[in-house]
Amino acid sequence: MITNIQGYSIHDGPGIRTVVFFKGCPLRCQWCANPENLSADKQIGYLKNLCHGCGRCMKACRYAAIMPGDGYRIARDKCVSCGECAEACYYGALVRYGEEKTAEETFEQVLKDKMFYDSSGGGVTASGGEPLLYADFVCELFRLCRNAAIDTCIETCGWAPREAVEKALHVTDHFYYDLKLMDPVLHRKYTGCDNERILGNARYLAEHGADILFRQPLIPGVNDTDDNIRRTAEFMLSLGPGASRIQLMPFHRAGKTKYDALEMTFIAEGLKPDTAERIEAVRERYIAYGVDCSISK
Amino acid sequence: MPGTIDFQLLEKIDSIELSRRNKRWREAMKASGWKVSTDRERWTVKSWKETEGEDLQLRRAKLLKCVLDNIEINIHPFDEIVGRPTPWVIGCQTAIDCCGDYIPGIWDDSGSFAATLDATVSISSEGLNVLRESAKLFGEQSLPAMTYKAWEELVGGWAKDVEAAKLKDPSLDSVITGQSTSVLSWKKILRVGLRGYIDECKRHIDEYIAAKGTDIDKIYFWQSAVIVLQAVIDHAHRYAALAEDMAAKEADAEQKAHLLKIAEVCRYVPENPARNLREALQSMQFCNLAKMLENPIQNNCHWGRADQYLYDYFVNDLKNGVPLEEIASMLADLIGRWGTQTFIASSTQKESHQINFGINNVMIGGLDKNREDCSNELSYLFLHLIALLQLSSPTVGLRWNRKTPDWIMRKAIRTNLATRGGIPLFENDEVLIASFMRDGIPFEEAVEWVGLGCVYPCLPTRAEHYGAEGVAAINLAGILHLTLHNGIDINGKQSGLKTGDPRNFKSFDELYEAFLTQYKYLCHRVFWLGGVARDMGHKYLRLPLLSILGIEASMELGQDLLKPHPDYSMFGISDRAIIDVADSMTALKKLVFESKALSMAEMMEALDSNFAGERGEEIRQLCLRQPKYGNDLPEADELVKKVSADSAAIINSYDNSPFRKFIISREGLAWHYYGGLGVGALPNGRKALEPLNDGSLSPMRGVDKNGPTAVLRSACHACFDAVSYVAVLNQKFSSSIIASEESIEKLIAYTNAYMNSNGSHIQYNILDTEQLKDAKKHPDSYKDLIVRIGGFSAYFVQLSPEIQDDVIYRSEFNL
Repeated sequence: MITNIQGYSIHDGPGIRTVVFFKGCPLRCQWCANPENLSADKQIGYLKNLCHGCGRCMKACRYAAIMPGDGYRIARDKCVSCGECAEACYYGALVRYGEEKTAEETFEQVLKDKMFYDSSGGGVTASGGEPLLYADFVCELFRLCRNAAIDTCIETCGWAPREAVEKALHVTDHFYYDLKLMDPVLHRKYTGCDNERILGNARYLAEHGADILFRQPLIPGVNDTDDNIRRTAEFMLSLGPGASRIQLMPFHRAGKTKYDALEMTFIAEGLKPDTAERIEAVRERYIAYGVDCSISK
Repeated sequence: MPGTIDFQLLEKIDSIELSRRNKRWREAMKASGWKVSTDRERWTVKSWKETEGEDLQLRRAKLLKCVLDNIEINIHPFDEIVGRPTPWVIGCQTAIDCCGDYIPGIWDDSGSFAATLDATVSISSEGLNVLRESAKLFGEQSLPAMTYKAWEELVGGWAKDVEAAKLKDPSLDSVITGQSTSVLSWKKILRVGLRGYIDECKRHIDEYIAAKGTDIDKIYFWQSAVIVLQAVIDHAHRYAALAEDMAAKEADAEQKAHLLKIAEVCRYVPENPARNLREALQSMQFCNLAKMLENPIQNNCHWGRADQYLYDYFVNDLKNGVPLEEIASMLADLIGRWGTQTFIASSTQKESHQINFGINNVMIGGLDKNREDCSNELSYLFLHLIALLQLSSPTVGLRWNRKTPDWIMRKAIRTNLATRGGIPLFENDEVLIASFMRDGIPFEEAVEWVGLGCVYPCLPTRAEHYGAEGVAAINLAGILHLTLHNGIDINGKQSGLKTGDPRNFKSFDELYEAFLTQYKYLCHRVFWLGGVARDMGHKYLRLPLLSILGIEASMELGQDLLKPHPDYSMFGISDRAIIDVADSMTALKKLVFESKALSMAEMMEALDSNFAGERGEEIRQLCLRQPKYGNDLPEADELVKKVSADSAAIINSYDNSPFRKFIISREGLAWHYYGGLGVGALPNGRKALEPLNDGSLSPMRGVDKNGPTAVLRSACHACFDAVSYVAVLNQKFSSSIIASEESIEKLIAYTNAYMNSNGSHIQYNILDTEQLKDAKKHPDSYKDLIVRIGGFSAYFVQLSPEIQDDVIYRSEFNL
C-alpha cells in the first residue's frame, strides 16, 4: 500500500530523489508528522479549508458516509475508502490516502526521473510509514533499481523482523535510520513499542557494513534531554566508525492538517517547537561526544 | 578559460556591497516620481522645420544633432558615469517624430496623461503645446500612420480588427521599428572610438566617389553617420564643460576631483578608444544615450556579452590598482541606470508589456569560438551586483552549456534566491547555437548570440526585425476562438474564415483541420502585412546612429538598417499559447468526440456563457480534469507536440523571399495577460479574458500535480527545440526548496538534467511572501505549489491556515 510517489525530493538521501511513501507503521510516535501513513488501510481525508460546501461528495457517496457538520463529516464506520467522494470533489478537499501498486509499476514510475538521478547522484528512497513492513516489495523494487543503476535508500524506524532487514541490506545503498529514544520505558511510552529490536537491527546493519545515517526527530522535553543525548551518542560510538553520523530533525506541527483531515488526535500538538539556538545547543552536545551531527533543513 | 579563474577574487566579490554613491542614487530614484520631458520634442520640431525639403537620411541625422546639441543636461552628485536623457534622475523623452500621435491624452486639457498602467504624469501647458505641435507636424506622416493607410488599401479594416482582437501584436503605434540590433557593436566602439567610425565613413565616401558610384543614398548614409557620430562626441564635450564648471564651484575636495575626472573622461570618450573600465562604461553610456535620443522607444540598453568585451578592462584595472570597490561602484551605476530607463509607450504596448521600464539584457558566460565556456570573474561580479541592486531589469541570461562551471551555476542560483527568482534565467547555449546553424548561420557568428528583451535570441551582426513590422506574436488561442466561432473574433468581427459551425463537426480531425485552416489564413495575411510594413519603414524613418553603431554591415553597405537587406535582416515570430490550444483540443477530443460526455452544443453553450450557472461550473470542472500537459501524460503531451509541429510548418510554409524565412522563437514575458484579453472561455477550463498560460512551455496554472520533474519530462516530450529557438518554461518554487547549500546543489543538478535533455530555457520564480499570501487566498491557482518544512513536504494549499501562515513567515526571512 503506497500513499504517494514524490519526485524532486531533496531531503531524503543524496541528490534528487523520488520518495515512495509506504502506508502503515508499527510505531505510534506522538509527534508523527505523517499520520496518513500510520494505518495500513486506505483512508479518506477531508481538508476543510479547501471545501466549498457544494455537496457533490455527499451525492457521490454510495454508503451515505458523508454528512453535514462543520463543513462535512465522514462517518468512519460506514466509509469503505472507495474514493468516489474524492473523485467527485472539484476542489481537492477530499483526498484518498493509499493506493495498491506492484513493485514493477512503482519501478516504472520512478524510472522516469532517471535523468535527474544521474545528474545529481540521486535515486529512490523508500519511506513511510515503515517500508520494511513491505520488505518483499521494497527488495523487488530496489533490485530493479539496482539493475538500472539507480541508487537506493530506506528511511526506517528500525522496528522490523531481522529477516526483513537482512534482505534489505543486500539491495540498499543507504539507510536513514531513526533513533528516537534510548530509554526502553520512555520509548514504549512515546512510540508504543520497545526499542530493543530497533537497536538490535541498527547494530546488525552496522556490523554488516551498511551506510547508515541516524536521524533523530528532536522532540522538546522528550528526547532532547542530556541523558538521551549521551546514551544515543554512546550507542552510536559502540557501533564503530561506520555509523557515527546523526541528523537532527526539529519538531514541527505541519502534520496537524492531516490529523484534522483524518479526525485523528495529534497528541504533541501543544508542544512548542524548539528555537534554533536550542537545536544548535543539542548539536554541539553531540559533537562534544564525538558524533558527527547535522541539522535537517 | 577553465582553470584560470581567480577564486580569491570571487570571494572578495562575495563581500562587495553597494557603494555610497550607488546607495544615494537608489534613494534619489525612489524619491523621484514619473517624469516626462518635452525638451527633445521641442528640438525635433525646430530641426524638422529647418530641414524641410532635404533628403530624409540627412534630415534625421540633423534632427538628432539638433537634439544632442541643445537638450538640457545635468550631472548628479552621486554619478559615477554621467549622461541621462533628461536632467532628472529618472525621466524620459517622448517620440512623436517616430511613433506619430501616440500619446493618449495630449489633446484634452486635463494637463496630465497616463504614462504607464499605474502612473500619470502632469505636464505644463507649455509642454502640452510642444507635444501638440509635434503631433501636428509628424502625426499624419509618421511611419505607423502611413503603414496603417497602406494596410487599409489592401485589407480594409481587417488589420485593425485583428489587432483589436489581440490575434497578433504589437500594433504599429508601439513602434519598436529598429528594435533590430539593440545590442550595439560594443567591441568595435570601444576598440576604435567614434573618431575611428567617422574616419571609416569618410574613407567609404572617398572610395565610392573614386569608383564612380552612382547610388547617392549610400553617400547620404555615410554623411548622415558622420553628422550623428560627431554630434555624440560634441554631446560628451558638453558634459565635460559642465563638469568643469561644477568643479570650479565645488567646495568638497573629493567631489571636485571626481568632477574633474569626469570632465577628463568625457573629453576623451566616446571619441577615442577606451583605455580603462571607466572610459569604457562612459563611452557606452554616451552611445546608448544618443540611441535613446534618436528614438526614445529604443530605450532598451542591451549589454550583450558584457562579461566578455569588458573583461580585459576589468583585469587591467585590477592590475593597475583600481580598487574592486570602485569597479563595482561604476558597474552598478550603469547597470542601475540602464535598468531604470523609463519610456512612454502606446496604450497597446502598455497592455502587452505591463512594465514601466525598458527591458534590457545582460548575457553571462557561454561558449566562445573555441567551444570553451568563457564564464569569468566579471560574470560573477555582474551576478553579484544585480542581486544587490534588486531591480526588475536587466534581464540576465546565463548561457548554459555542458561546460558551464559549477561555481557560476552556484552564484546564479544564489542570485535567484536573492532576487526572488527569475534572475538569471538559464538559456541553453547549445540549443540556441544549433538553431542558428540549422538556419544557415556559421558557428563563429552563431556563438555570439545574445538575448534581446527577455529571452529572444539575436545576433549582434544582423538586423533583427522581430516585432518591428507589427508581427511578433500570433495568438493561437485566439485562432482556436475563431475556429469555435466560425471565424468571428472576440469583438464580433469576422477576422477569420467561415470554417463552419463547430456543432456540425463530425470528428476531432474535422475540428483540428478547421483550426489549421484558420491559422494559415491569419498567419499568411499577417506576414503579408508585415512585408508591406517592412517596405514602408525606410520611406518615413531613418535611424542613422543605430544603423552605424548597431550593424557593422551598415558601414560596408552604406545603408540604413530600416532598409532590410537579404543577407543581414532577420525576421522573428513567436507563435504563442500552444499549451492552451493543445490542452483545449485534448479536452474537446476526450469529452465531445471520444467519451461523448458532452455534445459540442453543450460545450459551446458552456463556453459562450463563460461557464455560467451550476451546469457551467460542472462542465468547467470536467474540462479541468481532462489530461493536461505538465504531468507527463503521453496523450496530453503528444497533442502539444503536434500543435507545435503544425504551427511551425505553417510559419515555415510562408515564402519570405528575398529575405530569410521567419525564425520561430517562443518567448512570452507578460504577454499572457494581453493575449488572454482576445480569447473567450476555452475547453481547457480557462474562463474568458483570463490570462493564458505564461511562458510558452509552462503548464496551465495549478494543473501540474505530479511534481516539478514531471513538468520537465512533459516539456522534453513536447520537442519545442526541434522547431523553435527558445521555449520559455517558468517554474514556481517556494524559497524553502533552495534554502540550504545542499539544496542549491540539487537545483543545479536539476537544471543540468533538463538542459542536457535539450530544454532551451528555464526560469525559477521564487515565490515571495505576497504570492504565498495569494496562494492562501486562491488555492485553486496554486494546487502545484510544494513547500518543505524540516524534511516534511506538502502541497501548500493542503496545509491549514495556521501552518500556511508559518510558511509565509519563514519565506519572509528565508528560513
